[in-house]
Amino acid sequence: MTTPVLRSHAENQFADELAVLARHDDKPKPPNWKLSPWAVATYLLGGTAGGMPITPKYIGLRRIIEIAIATLATDRALLLLGVPGTAKSWVAEHLAAAISGDSTLLVQGTAGTAEEAVRYGWNYAQLLAKGPSLDALVPSPIMRGMREGRIARVEELTRIPADVQDALITILSEKSLPIPELGDEVQARKGFNVIATANDRDKGVNDLSSALKRRFNTVVLPLPDSVDEEVEIVRTRVASLGRALEIPAEPPALEAIRRLVIIFRELRAGATADGKTKLKSPSGTLSTAEAISVVNQGLSLAAHFGDGSLRASDIASSVIGAVIKDPVQDKVVWQEYLETVIKERDGWKDLYRACRDVS
Amino acid sequence: MSVHILGIRHHGPGSARSVVTALEAIRPQVVLVEGPPDADDLLALAAQMEMRPPVALLVYRPDEPKRAVFYPFAAFSPEWQAIRWALKNAVPVRFMDLPQRHRLAEECEEEDTERLHGDPFAMIAEAAGYSDGERWWEDQFEKRHAGPEVFEAVLELMTALREGTPTNAAEGRREAWMRQTLREAQKQGHERIAVVCGAWHAPALATMPTAKADAETLRGLPKCAVAATWLPWTHRRLTYVSGYGAGIQSPGYYEHLWALVQPVELATRWMTRVAHLLRAEDLESSTASIIEATRLAETAAVLRGFTVPGLAEFNEAAQAVFCFGDSAPMQLIAERLIVGDVLGAVPEEAPQVPLQRDFQKETKRLRLPPEALDRTLELDLRKPNDLDRSQLLHRLRLLKVEWGKPMSARGKGTFRETWHLCWEPELEVALIETAPWGNTIAEAATRFTIERGSHCSALPELTALVEVLLLAELPEAVDRVMHQLENQAALTSDIGHLMDALPPLAAVLRYGNVRQTDASMVGHIVNGLVARICAGLPPACTALNDDAASEMFMRLNATHSALANLADETLRAGWNSTLLQLADDDTLHGLLVGRCTRLLLDEAKIDADTAATRLSRHLSRANAPAQSAAWIEGFLAGSGLVLLHQARLWNLLDGWLGSLTADHFTEVLPLLRRTFSTFAPPERRQMGELARRGTGAPTTMAVPVDEDIEQDRADRLLPTFALLLGATP
Repeated sequence: MTTPVLRSHAENQFADELAVLARHDDKPKPPNWKLSPWAVATYLLGGTAGGMPITPKYIGLRRIIEIAIATLATDRALLLLGVPGTAKSWVAEHLAAAISGDSTLLVQGTAGTAEEAVRYGWNYAQLLAKGPSLDALVPSPIMRGMREGRIARVEELTRIPADVQDALITILSEKSLPIPELGDEVQARKGFNVIATANDRDKGVNDLSSALKRRFNTVVLPLPDSVDEEVEIVRTRVASLGRALEIPAEPPALEAIRRLVIIFRELRAGATADGKTKLKSPSGTLSTAEAISVVNQGLSLAAHFGDGSLRASDIASSVIGAVIKDPVQDKVVWQEYLETVIKERDGWKDLYRACRDVS
Repeated sequence: MSVHILGIRHHGPGSARSVVTALEAIRPQVVLVEGPPDADDLLALAAQMEMRPPVALLVYRPDEPKRAVFYPFAAFSPEWQAIRWALKNAVPVRFMDLPQRHRLAEECEEEDTERLHGDPFAMIAEAAGYSDGERWWEDQFEKRHAGPEVFEAVLELMTALREGTPTNAAEGRREAWMRQTLREAQKQGHERIAVVCGAWHAPALATMPTAKADAETLRGLPKCAVAATWLPWTHRRLTYVSGYGAGIQSPGYYEHLWALVQPVELATRWMTRVAHLLRAEDLESSTASIIEATRLAETAAVLRGFTVPGLAEFNEAAQAVFCFGDSAPMQLIAERLIVGDVLGAVPEEAPQVPLQRDFQKETKRLRLPPEALDRTLELDLRKPNDLDRSQLLHRLRLLKVEWGKPMSARGKGTFRETWHLCWEPELEVALIETAPWGNTIAEAATRFTIERGSHCSALPELTALVEVLLLAELPEAVDRVMHQLENQAALTSDIGHLMDALPPLAAVLRYGNVRQTDASMVGHIVNGLVARICAGLPPACTALNDDAASEMFMRLNATHSALANLADETLRAGWNSTLLQLADDDTLHGLLVGRCTRLLLDEAKIDADTAATRLSRHLSRANAPAQSAAWIEGFLAGSGLVLLHQARLWNLLDGWLGSLTADHFTEVLPLLRRTFSTFAPPERRQMGELARRGTGAPTTMAVPVDEDIEQDRADRLLPTFALLLGATP
């Protein structure tokens, strides 16, 4: 008996949307693309195809997605850059699913990623038994992508050590991968391309060499544009997460979420929402994902120790925990914010007091 | 007889090109251009070699220079091209709009129709899904037709657009005047007439009502005297709203479009210019990147359904390819390429600008004629005329017209100012350069200072600006720059800068100044500054070396005395608790801890016993002697009276000195000597006497007792006090 997988790939989860888009796609397709660039844009940004609604996968600026797709259509590798929690991997996965119908060609970048993961490895049993041959070769996802003319993904490119990163240079400029051991090479077929994601805020990352940088078009995924948009993202995600974790508290008041989102956005942007006062930004990123976890934490505090409804005091401590990542600098940032903004805002007195009590 | 109405897009390079083609085809005998007929005499200057766009026609009321209108022209403005064409071909050219001598005569500012409706092309372009009107024009007209028939299409389009939109009275008058000018040209027997006007007005000129109706509309218009001149303009100023409706956002890019000989080279040339700019700024941009950026821009344009890429695609491609996603270099591209830093030029024959006139008026009023001789001017700010003079000189300083240099005033009193005056011919040029900022010195100084303030990236710079600004009495600029200061204060992580900004502001708040600045505004900023200083000071004081500590020591003193002058208990409470926190932190530099302790003692926030305990703790043997000596320096610097009055402190210090070993004593001696040398000689003498006696003498404090006061003798002093304080008895 097979149990359902915890999380299915994009191309499986949205198989019917992709099928409908493909059926009604009459625009020219680049070689080996499953959909035309226009259909890929519709898939990511939502719309309708043949009367069927396509759910938006990415809520945000249309032009960003258009530039990303145009990049891939010009055979240039795409680098999605952004702070954590801006849906980089999500966009990469869906782009690969829509363009190649396959989002599984994935190299996860870590500090320990070796060159084999980017180029190829060897099956040592085979190698010893039969000597070097194509059979003994273990292709990397990228090599497979080249052979099959599909999109390969590299997650967290900047976490990969610099010397391993540079293995990508030949692949991206020559579109071929030499195998000196066999005196052979793999040449990429049309449709092959690389989507990499990287985090520009993280500390201790390996910056890309300029040789490699030049082979990517860089698209920055921003944090959500408006308060309403972000409140909506937080609300829906909290609702679904709350269900999964079986938190018994009543659904969070929209007002509480709104205040939280405003705090996060203001600190992130370094200015108050009305643009009148500038603020210092803390060292952390304060992503939407963190706002979600603060609300969740507050909800469970309210459920287990409070009266069940989300109060200012329930979120105060987790807000402070989220904001103050560096005990010295961020503390100053937070205190300034607390004293100059929260304190003076109408109707925020309870939050101010709660935060004062905690800090 | 034929009339050709060329409805154009103001500042549209596409329109300009179409206008030139159309004029070549029509060969009109007279050209009528939308613009102020008041400046008809100046049109001939446009043909001169020295005239280099961007330039602007300025029409203003000499009696009230603030009432002025600018008509800017760039090389790519259709009006400019029409004027140049006419002058080159010796065809008479005339302006045809309602003259400003009538428009400026009206009491209230009229609503500009263009501003009212917005750029009609921008509206259509937006409706058609284009990022800007120029691109729409390019796609719709440039690519398809190249002949004068473009303007027939524009006319039709505008007729449709204007249907159902009521014409307001001001607009009706302007169009009536245009029609009258047209009739007059017809009456003069010109066979072929070309009319170059904003597309919005084209339908009104195409169908003519009776001349009588128009004459009726124009009857009894008010009238005033106006003057007109040419001014050099800049691309940056083109982005502002002025004369011809809304400003344009991308004059540099339009210039590029206009200068383009081969339309197919649009993308490559633009991208190459971007690359060259970035290269000049030491940012990486290879030829390969130009190729990739061009390809990306073109592909993105196709994806969006456009035949050619526009500025939006160029920017996005440049950011993705050249800037690696970074938006900071895009700012550079926007400033230097998309807007551009082109400065126009005007022939010398052009009349004077209003700022010069205002300057002359002011100097005459204040009896302060510009002289080439060096001279020193003493001002007493209590006299109105002198106060105005001082304001004028400070405003000119803000405008970087360095006529007067402030000197340190002799004698005491904030009402005295000394200036060193010297008028140089270059200052006239400086004055004209600042002319675009406003028509009066006050207005120009206000705008210019706001602009300068918005570019200040460091707090000290801004603080310096504020100090001059407060003296120049420009409330609007004070508002904005103060706001800017507040923002910078929020951003700066340098507590030192914050502390430096506080004393001048606190002084303004405490004493007002002779010039009545808005105190609540300053109060708000001071509150914010103090909150930030209190929050940031403890971390900023950690791990300082001797030099940094003595710098901080000076700032602590300055901040403390600034706050001491403010009678704001909450601020002082916050500050005192910060001082307490610092005084409690033994890991800080001794100088600072000692100072904080002293300040708290003076404020009576801690009593003498606590101070003694602290002194004893800091003088204990576990501390390095140098650290202890630094503490003493911090504690005692400036005045040693506390030692004379508090025997316990004296004894503790005495004991500590006695307990030092010979080596240690030699080590700390310079520090102690430095500290004690700051005391007044009588204090030192008293201390010496105290030391000879061996132990600290019991202190006696003079406490005033009511019976001691002799009412009669005290009363006799009161008139003198009243005189000193300036109160009327």
